[in-house]
Amino acid sequence: MNQEASINFSEDEKDILQEIMNIAFGNATADLAEVVDIYVMLSIPNIQVIGIGELPFYLKDTIKDDGESSIVEQKFWGNFKGSGLLVFPSGSGKDLLAFLDDRADYHHEGTAAATLEKGGLLEIGNILIGACVGKVSELLSTFVTYSPPQVLQGKSSDYNYLIEHFDPLQTAIVMKTIFTFKEKDINGFLLILTNHESIDWLRKALHEFMGTYE
Amino acid sequence: MINTILIVDDSPVARRMLKTCIPKDKGYEIFEAGNGQEGFEKYKELHPDIVFMDLTMPVMDGYQATAKIKEFDKEAIVIVTTADIQPKSIASVMELGAFTLLKKPAKTESIQEAISKVEIKMKKLQEK
Repeated sequence: MNQEASINFSEDEKDILQEIMNIAFGNATADLAEVVDIYVMLSIPNIQVIGIGELPFYLKDTIKDDGESSIVEQKFWGNFKGSGLLVFPSGSGKDLLAFLDDRADYHHEGTAAATLEKGGLLEIGNILIGACVGKVSELLSTFVTYSPPQVLQGKSSDYNYLIEHFDPLQTAIVMKTIFTFKEKDINGFLLILTNHESIDWLRKALHEFMGTYE
Repeated sequence: MINTILIVDDSPVARRMLKTCIPKDKGYEIFEAGNGQEGFEKYKELHPDIVFMDLTMPVMDGYQATAKIKEFDKEAIVIVTTADIQPKSIASVMELGAFTLLKKPAKTESIQEAISKVEIKMKKLQEK
């Protein structure tokens, strides 16, 4: 049985969620611009309903992992529950860190360089995921708590570790936004995954949100 | 006097939200377009008094569409409604000649305030 059909998330509901994601990510980039002198070019968000069992394949296909991606992951809990994943090309952490602190010395190698890069990724990830999920929550009149962000790096082609808190027999909603840091020509994307138990709440919250416009 | 309004946004939900914020008792005729190219074509055809323009859209984005509309009619009133509220985005659309920029989600007060400002501007122009 098709997981997407089984939860009956309509095109109208997807459109509402797409607009909410668009607003949320736009706000997140503005928050980032308050901290660093960076201009983020946005794209139109994409919303998909996917069986959890298919999610590792979706992630593998989307991230196109050949060991060249760095992923910042942050989980969130509340009525709106799931994970935010910010995916960058590997090595971009150092460039991102330069935005955050233009006085820093980046002529490190080995472990020191990796630590610095990780720091840059975590900082940007924390701002973008936190602000985006926070704005979605605000628009849908709820609140969430967050785990500390973590950097997932390496050549793993198995994304099961990203969804270990999801039930493989259930369904997730995946919200994807592609972006470009213009000055550095760094392309990345943000995925917000919500788990099955959030979907009924999410559907109701989306209709309540639109109800304020009727 | 404002008679016609064109809403340019790829999101049907965003267009619906914006429409509900526009006063219904003024008799405005409201038209819609789903991307910047369609918005520009409709502008040429309809000459609306106000254009509400999104920025991030397929086919032609709101920056290009605003530039084309202003090139076609330098008096065009383009109100940008966007989620992209980065300072550089705001500066870019204002440089293109947008009348103002409103942050999404659309709010009745800000939409009506912007329409009122357009009415005042049009009145002043008529008095000259």
